[in-house]
Amino acid sequence: MPIHLVKHGDTVLEARGITKRFPGVIANDRIDFEIRAGEIHAILGENGAGKTTLMKILFGLLQPDEGGIYVQGEKVTFRSPLDAIDLGVGMVHQNRKLIAAHTVIENIILGHPRAGKIPDLGRTRDEIAELCDRYGFKIDFKAKVWQLSEGEKQAVEILKALYRGARILILDEPTSALAPPETEKLLASIRIMTRDDLALVPFITHKLPVVLNISDRVTVLRRGQVTARLRTREATENSLAKEMVGREVIFRLEHVEVERGRPILHVDNLSALNDKGLPALKGVSFSVHEGEILGIAGVSGNGQQVLAEVLAGLRKAEAGRVLMDGIDITLTGSLQRWKNGMGYIPSDRIDVGSIGDYSLMDNVLMNYHFDGAFSRWGIVDSKKTRKLTEELISEYAIATPGPDSTAKSLSGGNLQKLILARVLSRKPRLIIANLPTQGLDVGATEFVQNKLLEAKRQHAAILLISEDLDEVLSLSDRVAPIYEGEFMGILPVEQAGIEDIGAMMAGLNQPVQSGETR
Amino acid sequence: MKLGSYEVKLEKKAKVTGWEAATISLLAILIGLALVGLIFRQAGVNPLTGYRAMFSYGFLNEFGLPLTINRSIFILLCTCAFIIPMRAGLWNIGMAGQLYGGALGAFGVALAFGARESQNPTVAPGFLIALMMLGALLGGAVVGAIPGFLKGRFNTNEIVVTMMLNSIVFWLVAYMIKEGGPFMGGGGEGQGFTLSQSIRPPTALGGPFTIPLALGLAGLLYFMFAKATLGYQIKAFGLSPSAAKYAGISPQNVTLLVFILGGAIAGLAGYHYFAAVPGVSKIPLNYGDFGDLSFYGIICGLISMGNPLVAIPFALLFGGLTNGGRFVQGQLQLGYGIDYALLGILMITLVAFQYFYRNTVVWKKMEREQ
Repeated sequence: MPIHLVKHGDTVLEARGITKRFPGVIANDRIDFEIRAGEIHAILGENGAGKTTLMKILFGLLQPDEGGIYVQGEKVTFRSPLDAIDLGVGMVHQNRKLIAAHTVIENIILGHPRAGKIPDLGRTRDEIAELCDRYGFKIDFKAKVWQLSEGEKQAVEILKALYRGARILILDEPTSALAPPETEKLLASIRIMTRDDLALVPFITHKLPVVLNISDRVTVLRRGQVTARLRTREATENSLAKEMVGREVIFRLEHVEVERGRPILHVDNLSALNDKGLPALKGVSFSVHEGEILGIAGVSGNGQQVLAEVLAGLRKAEAGRVLMDGIDITLTGSLQRWKNGMGYIPSDRIDVGSIGDYSLMDNVLMNYHFDGAFSRWGIVDSKKTRKLTEELISEYAIATPGPDSTAKSLSGGNLQKLILARVLSRKPRLIIANLPTQGLDVGATEFVQNKLLEAKRQHAAILLISEDLDEVLSLSDRVAPIYEGEFMGILPVEQAGIEDIGAMMAGLNQPVQSGETR
Repeated sequence: MKLGSYEVKLEKKAKVTGWEAATISLLAILIGLALVGLIFRQAGVNPLTGYRAMFSYGFLNEFGLPLTINRSIFILLCTCAFIIPMRAGLWNIGMAGQLYGGALGAFGVALAFGARESQNPTVAPGFLIALMMLGALLGGAVVGAIPGFLKGRFNTNEIVVTMMLNSIVFWLVAYMIKEGGPFMGGGGEGQGFTLSQSIRPPTALGGPFTIPLALGLAGLLYFMFAKATLGYQIKAFGLSPSAAKYAGISPQNVTLLVFILGGAIAGLAGYHYFAAVPGVSKIPLNYGDFGDLSFYGIICGLISMGNPLVAIPFALLFGGLTNGGRFVQGQLQLGYGIDYALLGILMITLVAFQYFYRNTVVWKKMEREQ
């Protein structure tokens, strides 16, 4: 029976003693928690803490080995997500499950019991419009999904779940892909939903301020167990981080002072197009020196991705020049750039930075297959590759059974550590790090940032692209806010106030045409 | 699902061992044969009699076996030609055109050195044999390079291009060997000229030397995909083109290369059957049948999941069954096409049973509920 007649504060769903074992690990170890109507109950935990498993159990994608789920006090068995949906549990996945070529409304009604017959689009549209009005979503129903921003896609998923009658909404990393203004909008909508006595369960690995901002209760997981269960108003950022990681976490990094050396990368008036053929990068100029981190701060979609790809040799420049060590490499392919000492850490770890079906060894080889030291007569030196992989696994504390495991078996944080380890092990003189800590938990973020600082100490020139202003300001020596493909200035970090940078990221100051003084 | 006091469930599994895969394939073959047994019965023939005749001709008979082996080697080469692009995530449906290209290349070389007009070519026979093989490799590679280049440069659909080339090269061969064509043989039977005894390639243990060559090639390809940097790069591109590009692997180059290699090997298949198999030694009238036969390379490559060594027994199976099936059809006076029905059903069961590579059946005694 679906969830019905609840009032604010009633327990709608309970998990009691949920245990799930996978070969070699206990992903969930006797987990108890409860969700109440009208509350936001955040589940917090690092990558690999068992969040995903728990989420899948609550949505019927996995069955627990022990323990049970109770909806309004009655034990239920979810054999598949369909059972969960029928009882009023909805889920918004982190990786969008929408059909890009279909319109918003077609996506929303897909899978709805009523859509099996001839869908009455007029009536549906009115009903969905009403949901939009109530919760403050603004979406063009006729737009195709591929035309939407990340925030809008997420809204479509939420609407889809609500239209299906969800009373409990599980949100997987709801803010990880969103730009700050979109996050604000989402949080506002979520608050209205709780007023209607919906229960929301966001699963979050990082962005502790978001947790503190919106949730009523927090359950913290670590290694499959509940380590803390508290009301949010009793929590602080530090206390939550400590429960998650199991130790104190330093949020402010010490600024690393390294003498600035000669320029490694020089970019002159560079322009490029995005995948749709529209100008995405419009004449940027800058240089990056040895022992320096240049931070590019911006809301995603302002040309950072295109810039990174052009610098890595994966996208053609339309105009302008790229020089490394004073030599023009604008037309040089990516292979030659790797050989010249460039290291690129892509933002897309799963589709670009790694090959899921390849072993960790073969993934390490992605940056070494062209290296004469790792092959002989065209045959891969597997002994050497194995040794290097083992060294990287231990140096970077990558949680894995060994070098023969596949990359897709790694959690997000461990995968990023592997990519970072592989790229940095080449001792690149120029590092392009695109969103290196996006989606990582507190512990992994700290690790990655320290590794970048270590590379800086070894006199690498680093271009850091990030959406996280705190990160940019604490790591960089100079900051360049980017807006619609143009730099709004290049400021030494001491002169960059967080409000100024934030305003420039939003396009409020005039762009600086000349770039910088050389 | 419940069966008595047992619960039967399908569970996903991560890995399949070689033995499991072999067992699953064997089971699929047995079930496929059992299904075709129904067709035999329908035709009024005892399935066991039918199969006994089919297998004994296909695999044991002194006349049938060499034919089977020659066909199997042909299929194996076509499988290798399919597998190389397949590992790069690309579909080579053009083995037919490529093997015709190989045949044109080989016989074109022979023609150029006077092998059509005279018993004694203008260069040493051994040298000409080597040149003919080279011509076959080149001819296949050229036909293969076309879809490879178009795919890499303009992202055209390689399936469409290879399919269309099959037709183009088919008619090119017809033009060459039929009335007045430069490759026309004496007597005007509409087939190509026959190679003289001196430039027929050597045999090994009574069979054409292309048998050990093809087996060696399969082993070499296996090794390439397991150990070589080139194999690594091809597989990386096949698994994730964007990741391969990130790693400095050029999509254009890989695409062109796999089609050139695949085409060259298909060209060798043409050389094998038309020049090396004893008793053929020409582009025959029914050369189109070999184009059809080359399509077994696709199914063989898919069933063996791109593993050239695993493809060997499957190539042998298909080679024997096409051969034995045709024989049985004639001997037992069955309706037209029973050999095709058998092979078609076998392919379906083999592909369907691959489901069990990723899923396993679990039996569990149910606990009695209180």
